[in-house]
Amino acid sequence: MSDERRSISLAGAGKLSGGDYARVSISGAGKVDGDLCAEEIRISGAGKLAGRTEAGQISVSGSGVFDGPVTADEMSVSGAARIEGEAKVKEMKCSGTFRVSGNLLAEYVKVSGHIRVGGNLEAEIFKASGGFDVDGLLSADKIEVHLGGKCEAREIGGESIHVERGNFREKGILLDGLVRMLWRGAAAELTASSIEGDEIELEDTTADVVRGKRVIIGPRCHVKNVEYTETLEVHDDAEVEKQTKV
Amino acid sequence: MDEEQLVAKKEVLQLTGISYGQLYRWKRKGLIPEAWFVRRATFTGQETFFPREKILERIERIKEMKDTHPLDDLADVITQQVNAKLQVSLERIRRLKGVDASVLEACDIDAAPKKTLSIQDALCVGAVSRLKSSARPEELDLVQRTLRARVDGPLLERIPVDRLDLQLLRKRISGGGISAEVSLVIIAPPDSVFDPDVVTVGRVDLRDLLERIKLDVAARSAEPGAGRRASEEES
Repeated sequence: MSDERRSISLAGAGKLSGGDYARVSISGAGKVDGDLCAEEIRISGAGKLAGRTEAGQISVSGSGVFDGPVTADEMSVSGAARIEGEAKVKEMKCSGTFRVSGNLLAEYVKVSGHIRVGGNLEAEIFKASGGFDVDGLLSADKIEVHLGGKCEAREIGGESIHVERGNFREKGILLDGLVRMLWRGAAAELTASSIEGDEIELEDTTADVVRGKRVIIGPRCHVKNVEYTETLEVHDDAEVEKQTKV
Repeated sequence: MDEEQLVAKKEVLQLTGISYGQLYRWKRKGLIPEAWFVRRATFTGQETFFPREKILERIERIKEMKDTHPLDDLADVITQQVNAKLQVSLERIRRLKGVDASVLEACDIDAAPKKTLSIQDALCVGAVSRLKSSARPEELDLVQRTLRARVDGPLLERIPVDRLDLQLLRKRISGGGISAEVSLVIIAPPDSVFDPDVVTVGRVDLRDLLERIKLDVAARSAEPGAGRRASEEES
């Protein structure tokens, strides 16, 4: 741990055979062949990392492809990044597009771009104002979604789950139109097969089943089955096929 | 394998009184294994079920321990396999209740130069400290010899799974005007049955003891900082 680590910068077309570094920066087209361990990794060009990656900080503003599992304290994606494998990132921020083929395990996740997870997305706090697509379970103590695109998860579970329409509309038609165009015209709504939590407040959500302690089904929701233990409020402009107090 | 009895998620919450938030948090912390979440189609749609006995027992144990230990430590204790090469610092063991110089002496542990203990040594210290008020010195010696000689890798792995107690038994045998008392130490499930003349002098729940020892290790390994955090910036 105490030996001095080098910093390296790949500008132009470069190749690196993995190892232990202080700082790795890829600004051209760079490839890392083996496992990489670094305090800081910066990709502003096109980076391809073939092995496992372990880092304090990773930032991708260009395009980054990680062909192995990634562990990091902080990761921010403002360009495009793809991880083939599992990602363990304490603090994840994505304003670009981000794909993880396995699970994404984090403490804090903030998505203003788009995130796609092939496994489960588990965090302590999950905040989204963009879009997401989680094949498995989306779980966090606190889930806060400002719908800014198409949002999907097979299951959602946590302590408090709050979903509301994004505030693009307030900023004018132009921005709203732009957002719609970006997400291929997809409506800003959330779809899930089940949503479970202690405090649930939903808007623009379609779900098969919503289970919770205190539940508010807001405007433009379509829910087949609501099960609640304490309170339930259903907005006039919402559709609930069946509601049961358990 | 045999078809286990399953229990629906909402029934788990009702039976245990925990919230959705807790259930999902504990899953996230690795306290409830992913494999226990069984998805089944029901007439109301997909529902999640759990192996009944396992989940209820696990939740009770988490509830018991969560107030005294951070969740992150609990995961190690409850789920991680026991490493037979685990080393425990003597310093920490000494802070456990009832551990004093006489216990260390009974366990044949040299207090000064040795800084770390093997898992067997740690179990000896724990067991002896719990039994010392009811057992005789030669029985304590038998206890520590049993743990040292019999607790090996396979048995260590069984302890967190099957509950095993170390029991100290006595039996008086008399005949022809002579009577003698025999002491025995066994490691067996708590509901083992003996002949009516056997008296249980004391018992130590080895799983509980091992958890305490592991917690001690977990608490220690959690101390060093996770490295420096570079300052955050966005361009």
